[in-house]
Amino acid sequence: MASPGAVRPSVGAALQSCLAGSAACSRNAASMMPMAARIASSTVRPVRVQTAALSTTASLLKRHKYPGARSNRDMSKRRGESAIRRTGTRWRLSVSDDPLPQPVKRAELPAIETDPDHGLWEFFADRNTVAAPPEEVAKHGRAWMVEELRAKSWDDLHRLWWVCVKERNRIATADWERNRGKLGFGKSESGERDKVVKKTMQGIKHVLTERQYAWEDAVKLAETDPEIDLSGEGPVFTPKEYLEAEDVLVESETAESTNDSTEPSKAVPSETTPLEPNPQSSTAPRL
Amino acid sequence: MQPTRILQGMRYRKLRLTTKDVNKGYYKGTGSGSMGRHTKHGGYVIEWDKVRTYVCPPLEGFKLTPFVSQTIRPQHGIYNGDPNGPRNPELYLSRWKSENGFD
Repeated sequence: MASPGAVRPSVGAALQSCLAGSAACSRNAASMMPMAARIASSTVRPVRVQTAALSTTASLLKRHKYPGARSNRDMSKRRGESAIRRTGTRWRLSVSDDPLPQPVKRAELPAIETDPDHGLWEFFADRNTVAAPPEEVAKHGRAWMVEELRAKSWDDLHRLWWVCVKERNRIATADWERNRGKLGFGKSESGERDKVVKKTMQGIKHVLTERQYAWEDAVKLAETDPEIDLSGEGPVFTPKEYLEAEDVLVESETAESTNDSTEPSKAVPSETTPLEPNPQSSTAPRL
Repeated sequence: MQPTRILQGMRYRKLRLTTKDVNKGYYKGTGSGSMGRHTKHGGYVIEWDKVRTYVCPPLEGFKLTPFVSQTIRPQHGIYNGDPNGPRNPELYLSRWKSENGFD
């Protein structure tokens, strides 16, 4: 522990430099000392620091005597460290000498590999432009008419429906990108295009519903038809001419020709399977 | 804890009911549809017949588009003045007979 005669390093050093007699030193010493010490030094007896031979006390007491030296310990071990200002650590670390890896410059980054056949590309009409200009968007035809759709088979209508779904997805993606990137005009043309696609989809639904109802009514009617046997035993359709035991060849030809003449060409839904099982199934050639 | 201002006082009564309001068996759906049924113990059993499945057929080689050319003017079908027209069951039946009466 400190002996009674020992003086605090800062005060002791100041006194020493005072005692040394240098004018500059005394000026510095005077500015370094706190007020109380300055006042006290005028009355305190000059005390010499006791040092033995080969002692390092004197030199040790001269450490940290620069202008601005602290008089107490710095209790904040990470004072001045800033990640934002990139000061680095205050104390040396074991990894301080290891070189930090430098990030690759953006221009030198390798290109991101994409699959040119990825399904997500189908959300864009042209993969190099996220949204087409309004003149291009406006180039489309009219919607399908119900009369035109009535002529189509189930398979065609099913596939057309999904083509419409994908087109609407493309339109919605373009709208989203146009909003996000504030690309400019095109909302109105996009809306018109979407309307046309929706009208086609509405027509498809209408035709399929109509076909379903017509089938249900036809089944009911077939129960009273003498030519049709829905019990499941034997052939479903036996035409009148066949029942009357005429020539087999003649009967099939006349059946087709009479039916051809009476029925309208585009009006009837194209139905290609027997009545009982699925009413809306695979396609067959239209008349 | 306090409710937010909109839920205090009479203002709450003017808001639309949610699924969490009202006792006494008040049910409000969310538009997702019924996918099964509740069990008597409070659980739920999914009935896979009720669950919707969306089937997209392969579209390779399909040439139809959602649009029709403007040069093709719409033509209405000929139903000989029949008010039922496309819904006519006799028409349906006669067409069926001619097209696939014979296997």
